[in-house]
Amino acid sequence: MRPCGVFDETYEKDIAIVRTRGHWLLLIGSLLFLFILPLFAPYYLLNLTNNIFITVIVVLGLQIVTGCCGQISFGQPAFMAVGAFFSAVLTTKFGISFWIALPLSGIAAGLVGLIGGAPSLRIKGFYLAMGTIAIFYLTMWVITHLHITGGHQGLSVESPSIGSFVFDTDERIYYIILIITIILTFFARNLLRSRVGRVFVAIRDNDLAAEVMGVNTFYYKLLAFFISCFYAGIGGSLFCHWYTVVNSEQYTLIHGLNFIGMIIVGGLGSIPGVFFGVIFLRLLDELVLFGSPFLTELIPKLGIAPAASLGVMVFGLVLIIFLIFQPRGLAHTWEILKTSYRIYPYKN
Amino acid sequence: MKKIRLILFGVFTLCCLIAWSMPTFAKEKTVAFLSLSDFTGPIAGLAVDIEKACEDYFTYINENGGVDGVKIRYIPIDTRYDVARAISGYKRYRKTNKLLVANAVSTPIGKALEPLFNRDKLVWLVAADGEFVAHPKRGFLWGNCYQDGFSAALDWMAADWKSKGNSGMPTVGYMGWDSAYGRELLRGGKEYAEKIGVNLLKPEYFPTGTMDHSTYLTRLKNANYIWVGGIDPNPTNVIRDAHRLGMTKTIQFVCGYWGPAQYLGVRLHNKALQGTVVTVFTIRGTDAQKHPLIKKMWLKYRKKPINELPGPYGIGLGWALHFEAALRIALKDVGYKKLDGEAMFQAYQKLGGRDITQGIQGICTYGPNERRASKVVRFYQVKGKELVPISGWVKAPDSISLHKF
Repeated sequence: MRPCGVFDETYEKDIAIVRTRGHWLLLIGSLLFLFILPLFAPYYLLNLTNNIFITVIVVLGLQIVTGCCGQISFGQPAFMAVGAFFSAVLTTKFGISFWIALPLSGIAAGLVGLIGGAPSLRIKGFYLAMGTIAIFYLTMWVITHLHITGGHQGLSVESPSIGSFVFDTDERIYYIILIITIILTFFARNLLRSRVGRVFVAIRDNDLAAEVMGVNTFYYKLLAFFISCFYAGIGGSLFCHWYTVVNSEQYTLIHGLNFIGMIIVGGLGSIPGVFFGVIFLRLLDELVLFGSPFLTELIPKLGIAPAASLGVMVFGLVLIIFLIFQPRGLAHTWEILKTSYRIYPYKN
Repeated sequence: MKKIRLILFGVFTLCCLIAWSMPTFAKEKTVAFLSLSDFTGPIAGLAVDIEKACEDYFTYINENGGVDGVKIRYIPIDTRYDVARAISGYKRYRKTNKLLVANAVSTPIGKALEPLFNRDKLVWLVAADGEFVAHPKRGFLWGNCYQDGFSAALDWMAADWKSKGNSGMPTVGYMGWDSAYGRELLRGGKEYAEKIGVNLLKPEYFPTGTMDHSTYLTRLKNANYIWVGGIDPNPTNVIRDAHRLGMTKTIQFVCGYWGPAQYLGVRLHNKALQGTVVTVFTIRGTDAQKHPLIKKMWLKYRKKPINELPGPYGIGLGWALHFEAALRIALKDVGYKKLDGEAMFQAYQKLGGRDITQGIQGICTYGPNERRASKVVRFYQVKGKELVPISGWVKAPDSISLHKF
């Protein structure tokens, strides 16, 4: 719904992402805020922000394949691992610059993702989910059994650099992560309003109907997997160059479940929903992370019990609450809020 | 209206509680011990009990006025075996007032955090990975390293083989997690097997969550002894499967210190585990139940019968006792004001040659170039419902020097 008094007079206006002067101001203001954040944000907050942005990149990919194209995938951490190891090998073993390794690691993960997406021609729903779990294990097995990846020991990786300037602190690497997050968010948003995006949604809603209408569903399903895994690969590459270490145990199936949880909480098929889901669950996680030691100190009789159980309980509880009371996620709540504001004083 | 009042009252009470507790932290002289542990992940089965022991001993110290008046703030973090979560937790607490030691309870977390710990000049503790012994920095092992324990077990197997009237050397199978931890034992352990002439079969690695280990076991059917790695109840489940296949009749199973615990695995599959040998760096089973400090802590703080004592409880006490001893030295050396990670690092290096853990572990061997807490192991065997000692402290071979890290 458009803000009151805003009309789309041209096609360009109709499909524009940023529509009004208010939108532009809000966008520029937000970007400005994000760019100056390291000047005043504490060390811990920047670490958290970096973590959130990398997760956003990975979950954006998952949103495209699962939320928009309807192909459930639990394999995202494996594709993230492909990107991370590919980037680590290129930079440490072949001396290739991070700036070249970064897109290449996305492409490598995307190509591996094509193998992961191939079963989607024959199976769907629950069976596809099981198939992606199998792909996850296969991919991780291959990674840990290759000599070049360092096997189970993993690899130590250098921080990215331009000339003598090394992005070796949270503050410095923040800018790389931020810019890539912005570019990939813009790409994902743009993709969904393009022909390809509409085809994805058609496949999600009814793949048989889409095929009858002339859509090459197999091609588009594979394309969705490729894009999704490309995002995961980029996320993995950033992750390993930020931590300067890559190890297969950093990418587990539990992460895959968390990513699915994030798109459920945020809202399936929505790009802002990715941000909502990731920020909500990551902040909740952090709250539990430093809330439990605090509880231990506050009520010593509890001992380590809060730390031992709070996190898992809270995550499970939140998912159940969302599935029952808000199955369309936080993005839907946000839409309701926006509409209420726009049609004020009338009621939604 | 009544509901709102009730909620407001609840919030007010909570605020009062917080306000009441805050100045207590501020007034006291405190130091912090951060434990990045796994309370809900794959090693939670034992990690939680170890943490409880550490917490109990710190509570005991604090109740008795602290270490020379300095109280210890114990900060447990549930990493869920997740590196990102561990790093986040560490970054959240790294600026904690007088944070002196960080404990990384997992091989990948230790590897990932090592540069950050070293950069922050903290002492950090790690399970038993040999590379931290080969390249000593600020990381200290809880006991001896995995490969030394495995090599000591090989010596025991060879001796046991000969004591049964056999000639030559036994054939040994190896089973472990398909992970960095699972493979760590053979980085030096394999070389030691070659050195003493033991025929080590091709190792079998299985994924952490494997439900049935029959396939892996059948490939090791020609072994005389099988070493089973993994963290209880995982090794217990492996031996359960071996028992079902009839392998426990002909093959002797030997485990490491994460192996069957008296209160966990030994109870779960008691019949299958009969005769299984466990190689440990802390006292276990009946020895642990009789140990005065372990008994005192368990009964005082856990208030449960001593026969419910979890096997690795002594490991957590080991962390706490080493910390207490090092803190005492550091306070003497530099005083509370100047106390920092560097002072603690110097103090940890001075712990060598003393019985820090009151017999729970062997004599401490920490030193300027030594990161192992001890170099001895003990063997226990499952007999009936208990883990009974079958040896005293035995010197473990140094297998680190045999491997190129």
